[in-house]
Amino acid sequence: MYFVLTVLLDGPLHGHAILKRIVEVTTGRVRPTVGTLYAILERLTARGVLVVDREETVNGRVRRYFRITDKGVTIVRAEATRMKEAAVLVLDREALA
Amino acid sequence: MTRLERRYRRLLLAYPAGYRRAHGDELVEILLDSAEPGRRSPELREAAGLLMGGLRTRVEHAASGLAWPDGLHLGVTVLAVANLAALLPFVAAIPLWTALSALTLLAVLLGRVRPALPLLLLTGVKATAIAAGVPLLDQVLIPITSAPGSPDGLFATAGPSAVATSYALAFAGSLVLAVRGRPLKSRSWWWWLAVAPAIWPGPVLMADSLFPISVSRMALELGLLLLAVCAARMARDPRWGLAALIYLFSATIMIAGNDLHLTLRHLAYWAVLALPAATALLVSRDHRDPVLR
Repeated sequence: MYFVLTVLLDGPLHGHAILKRIVEVTTGRVRPTVGTLYAILERLTARGVLVVDREETVNGRVRRYFRITDKGVTIVRAEATRMKEAAVLVLDREALA
Repeated sequence: MTRLERRYRRLLLAYPAGYRRAHGDELVEILLDSAEPGRRSPELREAAGLLMGGLRTRVEHAASGLAWPDGLHLGVTVLAVANLAALLPFVAAIPLWTALSALTLLAVLLGRVRPALPLLLLTGVKATAIAAGVPLLDQVLIPITSAPGSPDGLFATAGPSAVATSYALAFAGSLVLAVRGRPLKSRSWWWWLAVAPAIWPGPVLMADSLFPISVSRMALELGLLLLAVCAARMARDPRWGLAALIYLFSATIMIAGNDLHLTLRHLAYWAVLALPAATALLVSRDHRDPVLR
């Protein structure tokens, strides 16, 4: 979920673009399946963290663009801060050693 | 339609029909775009992801609405299935009561708890009378066996208190739901298959005791309870735990009713039911951030 929210900070994306961006920003370490990604998108949308920004029809198929909400931005920033503080506990120790 | 698309669409059957109609094409498009050129069958991890995603979507759809009435309705459904399963092997001897029990289950499955109330009362009184060996409402030859000369008997291992408890619980649950007056959703028709152990009991455990337990029944109970744990864990919702506890209460009364014939193996059987039932309730409690979990 964290990476989905992270890549959407740059603006609305459709499902396939979200997948590709996650692989890019994690240099291939994280490769969610389509089933996993859409389960996350539906859950985050239901909780008001994402909204469907718009729908486009490509080759007769509807493509939804997801946008992060203000609530989502607050949540992902809080999570990033929490992880940074946790990482500092280890990295500062190593720097002092 | 290519073979790959056909196979992906088959995997999408894991999702609820409404979700497939709304978003199936969108998922297929991404799956096809992500697939390597020339690929004819889905990647294993994509297939597993779709199955898990479909299951999760089904569970989250099922977890919509207030938990306690739905959990209570599910618990009443399980009891109605168990009550029908108890009568089904003896349908030739008591066709009317078996048919009324099936009608009760139908009403409960459709969410029609008001018509289920008199049916539960009627079949419950009759079943309890049979278990107590008391002639009531109509004449039946006791003990009721599945075939002439057969050594089995209806309620041979369940006393009148256990039978009465099962029906009383189902009746009380239905009464609460009926008084509440809100419409209930229809439950899956797959519940009819849960009476299968009545048709095929399979091998019997603790056959040397006076309280033998059918393996197929135990497998079904354990399977359903483990599904309840998975669903409760996925949706963090107590409805499955509540239904499991309702069934556990009824099963406990049935087991306790045989206290003179119980062995350690019977206690182990009870633990097999109690552990997942309690787990289903416990895993629905989660105090972590509800968004990023």
